[in-house]
Amino acid sequence: MVVRVEGDTSSEVTQGTLCAKGLASKEILYHRERLLHPMKRSGTRGEGKWQRITWDEAFDTIVNHLRSIEERYGSESIVLATGTNRGWVRYFTRFANAYGKQWIGPGIAQCFYPRISGQMLVLGTNAMENPDYNATRCMIIWGCNPTTTWPVKGLGIMEAWCRGAQMIVIDPFFSEAASKAHLWLQLRPGTDAALALGMLHVIITERLYDETFVDNWCIGFDELVKRVEEYQPERVETITWVPASLIREAARLYAAIKPSSITQCLSIDQNADTISTSRSIAMLAAITGNIDVPGGNLITMLTEMSPVSDETGRQWLSREHHEKRLGRAQYPLLAGEACVMGPSAHNFTVWRAILTGRPYPVRAVYCHGSNMLRTYANTKMVTDALTKLDFFVVADLFPTETAAIADIVLPAASWMERSAVTRNEQTSISHLHLQQKVVQREECRSDLSILNELARRLGFADRMFPGEEAYFDFLLQPSGLTFEEFKRLGVVSCPHVFRKYESEGFHTPSGKVQLYDERLTSLGYDPLPSYQEPSESPIHTPELAKEYPLIITTGGRVPVFRHAELRNIPVLREIVPELEASISPKTARALGINNGDTVIVESPRGGMEAKARVTEGIDPRVIQVPSHWPGINNVNLLMDNEKCAPMIGGAQLRCQLCRVKKRE
Amino acid sequence: MLQKVLLIDLDNCVRCYACELACRQEHDLTYETKSRWCKVMTIEPRWVNQELHMDFVPVMCVQCDDPICAYFCPVNAISKGEDGIVAIDEEVCTGCRLCVHGCPYGALFFNEMRGVIGKCDLCINRVHSGIEPACVQHCIGGALQFVSHEELNNITLGEHILRMGMVYYASSKWKLRKLG
Repeated sequence: MVVRVEGDTSSEVTQGTLCAKGLASKEILYHRERLLHPMKRSGTRGEGKWQRITWDEAFDTIVNHLRSIEERYGSESIVLATGTNRGWVRYFTRFANAYGKQWIGPGIAQCFYPRISGQMLVLGTNAMENPDYNATRCMIIWGCNPTTTWPVKGLGIMEAWCRGAQMIVIDPFFSEAASKAHLWLQLRPGTDAALALGMLHVIITERLYDETFVDNWCIGFDELVKRVEEYQPERVETITWVPASLIREAARLYAAIKPSSITQCLSIDQNADTISTSRSIAMLAAITGNIDVPGGNLITMLTEMSPVSDETGRQWLSREHHEKRLGRAQYPLLAGEACVMGPSAHNFTVWRAILTGRPYPVRAVYCHGSNMLRTYANTKMVTDALTKLDFFVVADLFPTETAAIADIVLPAASWMERSAVTRNEQTSISHLHLQQKVVQREECRSDLSILNELARRLGFADRMFPGEEAYFDFLLQPSGLTFEEFKRLGVVSCPHVFRKYESEGFHTPSGKVQLYDERLTSLGYDPLPSYQEPSESPIHTPELAKEYPLIITTGGRVPVFRHAELRNIPVLREIVPELEASISPKTARALGINNGDTVIVESPRGGMEAKARVTEGIDPRVIQVPSHWPGINNVNLLMDNEKCAPMIGGAQLRCQLCRVKKRE
Repeated sequence: MLQKVLLIDLDNCVRCYACELACRQEHDLTYETKSRWCKVMTIEPRWVNQELHMDFVPVMCVQCDDPICAYFCPVNAISKGEDGIVAIDEEVCTGCRLCVHGCPYGALFFNEMRGVIGKCDLCINRVHSGIEPACVQHCIGGALQFVSHEELNNITLGEHILRMGMVYYASSKWKLRKLG
């Protein structure tokens, strides 16, 4: 019985804090709606009639259906689906690769992969994820709100802020972070690449960059100099709406104050050209000499403690598998062999294959921990596709709307019900943490154990680990510990070594920072970052903008929920009971909307409803709507998923068009 | 009196709501109790000297010097103890709720599950065991601090915005500006 979940005051990482979601863990664990037994559908799809079955019957049914679908329609007709990272996603990827099946996840093209891929191209590392708040004197918080969405980062930001570090927040929306900022750059949604290139222009033309670092460690600087000539602040102002004076001030602050750090997150991934955006932001850190220096952006130490990439079994994928992966031709950095992360299939292309049978039929989806009907853009298309499947399995904690249309539902273990070795840069770049199972709820099983059993019955157990502990032992190998020994320690850390590139170079083809990238030329893309208008915008699609005159920026989070989770926890829901669409007083007046009115927001894809929050914190040309709410409050009903970001295929969730009216 | 007081640095509050959830767990305030002893209020964005401001204010019982709620209680269940904490004797409380209406800060709650009144007691049980109040421990922004009078003076330079009972509201941004 878990009686309390508190912060660990001995932790160097959390310093005893814990977020609202973590403090409500007990409510999740013992929630009356938890799935506790495997079930199979007994009525028609989505009718809500279920029959409890044994795990044995569940596995048998899954294996039989997957085998017969594979025999009839081919290997690629089965797609695996995962949700956001919860500690087992890499193992899920291994399962997919061992099984030889393509897989998708909302936490892929729509989150994480674009910004990681972009910075990996430039730096060969994910340093942009790891600002060093301990010594930073200037922080750019780029399109994120870490105290709300990333509390371990929020903790460091507020400590640096209290010390007097300058804080520059880039966000179309007046967030909690923006309310603490010394400089707030309120840009037009989706124009981040132009802003970054404009800041590069200022830093280069005013010679504020680190000449020694650029000479020794960067290739392609001359080409970059030529490229950023096009992005003088006055021109960037017309694109981004950020005054040229403010662009100059932010660039000068970031470059002149040393050391400076950049914190970026999800909005970079849901942008117009996500790869150019993340590349140009990484270049800001590079040419100012802020990589792997105290107070800059650090290169992870986790690689010294734990094998990060070689567990996913990418080497098992056949030539034929690569060639048939959905989205490969259009999005080489997502679904092609040139990808930095993955490879993963492209979600829109999968839905289309299910709906049309082209280029080949997809008839089954096997899904762990993903409420797909809420988390992907274009809810109607996703619903139509998943409803059309021959066979659909969902493993989750709760009977989500996605589980409701499945054939088999499996009860997964929450974090308190499973063990793990937590080694994630998003938690710490120099700590491995123990997650130890403390309680068993009914028949719930860890994702690892479900995947292992399924692999055994499908006949590829030899490619998985014989048990959870064997997998954890593997993860701990570089640290020299077994899981048994690790259980006694709870946490292992390793002191940070700065400027690692001086001894090992950057992990790019040239061994240096690649400002100019021939890998992109060979894929048929621009080797330098550039700005591209969002797929829908008043400038790019003026005809559409006549009908849908407002820019909608979505994907913003509220503090007490994580993605699609936790709205069923009463103590959390009480804090944020309703979805609020932020709309400026000027626009609200013009549309006859008062604070608290219910409004209908529409796009060419459909309509949804929200409560109007009339606020000065948003530009009159923009509305901001948080994502992942259920039913008619789901903003993904509006979002386009076809006109994706180039190279990596992310839906442009931060910058589409809509219209708003009061619900009479 | 307790040796320490609660310092709330308004500029450090980031509205993460960890204090609210920490409080609920610590005092077993399930949703059904309808008791939200600690609550973060938002002052919505508004222009101040050409600057957009948005502020967050954690509120809870301030342990008044002369608690008005005690005057409202017909059975004398509320008293200010020697440690400064305004305490409710649950054995005596009849749950009449006069104090709930009488408190000018809205800091008292009728516990729907237990039938008695409850409110913030600065986690007196934790404090006696040498642990910080739950809201203070979990505060991400460093807005909530449990400090001695000496520490309070060092942090606020003796110029807090407001003191009510054992709670001091301060603004560090204002202080930084003052320091230049």
